[in-house]
Amino acid sequence: MAVYKKTYRPYEGRLTASWRRLLVIPQYAFEDLRRSRFLTVFYITTFIYPLICALIIYVQHNASALRLINAEGAQRLISINVPFYMGMLGWQSMLALFLAAFIGPGQISPDLANNALSLYLARPFSRVEYVLGKMLVLAILISLMTWIPGLLLFGLEGYLEGWDWMSANSRIASGLFFGSWVWIPVLCLLALALSAWVKWKPAAGGLIFGVIFVGQAFGAMVNHIQRTSWGYLFDINYLIGSIWVRLFEGENPTTSGAVFFRAPLGSEGGAPPLWCSWTLLAGLALVCLYMLRRKIRGAEVVR
Amino acid sequence: MTENTLITFANVSRFYGEVLGINKVNLSVPPGITSLVGPNGSGKTTLMNLMSGLLRPTQGQISVLGVPPDHPEKLGRILGYCTQFDAFPKGLTGWQFLYSFLLLHGMSEAESRQRAAAALERVNMMDAAHRLVAAYSKGMRQRIKLAQAVAHDPQVLVLDEPLNGLDPMARAETIALFREWGDKGRHVIVSSHILHEVDRISDQVILLSHGYVVAEGQIQGVRSEVKEQPMQILVRCDRPADLAARLFQQNHVVEAKIHGDGRNLLLRTKDADSFYLLLNRIVLDSGLDVESVAPADDDVNSVYQYLIGGEGGTV
Repeated sequence: MAVYKKTYRPYEGRLTASWRRLLVIPQYAFEDLRRSRFLTVFYITTFIYPLICALIIYVQHNASALRLINAEGAQRLISINVPFYMGMLGWQSMLALFLAAFIGPGQISPDLANNALSLYLARPFSRVEYVLGKMLVLAILISLMTWIPGLLLFGLEGYLEGWDWMSANSRIASGLFFGSWVWIPVLCLLALALSAWVKWKPAAGGLIFGVIFVGQAFGAMVNHIQRTSWGYLFDINYLIGSIWVRLFEGENPTTSGAVFFRAPLGSEGGAPPLWCSWTLLAGLALVCLYMLRRKIRGAEVVR
Repeated sequence: MTENTLITFANVSRFYGEVLGINKVNLSVPPGITSLVGPNGSGKTTLMNLMSGLLRPTQGQISVLGVPPDHPEKLGRILGYCTQFDAFPKGLTGWQFLYSFLLLHGMSEAESRQRAAAALERVNMMDAAHRLVAAYSKGMRQRIKLAQAVAHDPQVLVLDEPLNGLDPMARAETIALFREWGDKGRHVIVSSHILHEVDRISDQVILLSHGYVVAEGQIQGVRSEVKEQPMQILVRCDRPADLAARLFQQNHVVEAKIHGDGRNLLLRTKDADSFYLLLNRIVLDSGLDVESVAPADDDVNSVYQYLIGGEGGTV
């Protein structure tokens, strides 16, 4: 039996919080994304719509500016109300879909292709933390496009209109925030699940669009042929839109969702109940989680 | 030795569907350098993945210094793992690779910076620290993988084929590092195909075949347990023919060959202890001039051939 010099001392310093460790993944992912000129330009362009919205809000409250552009009647033409904010959220959420299709496929498949998962998982870092870290990459970028500018626009309007407007329209703020957080997890999980299963990035990106638009087309076909509204249940955009309408307007909605996320009022045969939308989105998220669970493993299982 | 100083496998099996990974493994691995030896598909990587927590056993219990491998928060702090694959996240430099993975351990930025630099220094990679890992040579990638495994100063190092792709100089340096870590009382678990190097570096070996542990322990001890294969002993003396004639009078000596320059006698005996006693007596009686006596087959290569042979493919 050998005699060992016991000089080994383990690390006994303070440890950072586990949520801070999650941020390590986005930190390097953002650096990687920044190297792509296309993605940088695309991401910058996604801020154009919120900037136009901010300009509209500002100009509407600035009489001299309205006079300058001979648009004193503009206040009556563009109302800063639920459709205004929901429209912004709809447009931005559609751009988020493009962003997820561009960068989502590059999140997990390179780690699988490079056998890098064992590097993460042989550390004090679980599979759940790995997926959360990867989700954060998309969630941070999409948040900066959706609810963060939405709430800033809400704050700008509130600042210019006053406290009464803010308290009367507080539902818009909660709708922007919670509405975004209905779309963000679904989109992130879909992008990550497809990234884990489809190694060829263009195919994974295409599949994200496929899931959204093929479902929409199929749903429309079912509605048309069967003269029903139940086909909407295949349409993720409808499911999201129907939830948004309730979040923004409550039990008696007057709008039919947002651009790209339509939830038509008074559909033929009656619209599917709201719980169907929640259930189907939750089901989709669970399917994505199951797909991730099958693929995110420390060691590739050889059969 | 207590459970907190051992890596233990208690009746551990791992199946991949219908395919056997390892079966009914019982092991107790003490500190020092332990080599896993076996043909391709014998279960070496499965065993390493199980102790690293990357795979869960189908049945049985594993404990790494008292920590069950399904507790990544605890296990990751005491264990460093170097996979046999070229495993790197995309787009990172060597420095970023080490630094970011130290941050994942929960170390502060300053501590991570210091440890990343120390680990790079350790494997002589400081000059290439800020180059992309993807642009590294095979040997450099192997060294940076080793650096990430040791950067957080783990007590258990699990290194799957760590010598692959290294040039002779880097290989010698790496073996010296293993020796140093082993001497500090760490567990260094190494799998390797290079048997003569396994022989040089190992304190103990674990021989695997078809998912079963065929033998474990110090190699001389393992060799002495292989009773069905007579022990080979090389004796260098001035009159090997005389010695052979006297030895053949004993039942336990089954073969004797004169080798090389006519002064080497290679013997095969079923009872090494009796042989050594007999040799002493012969030397005293006949005045034989013996230069050296050495076992010729108590190395990993011989034991491997006896226990596993050519059945399992490449080694």
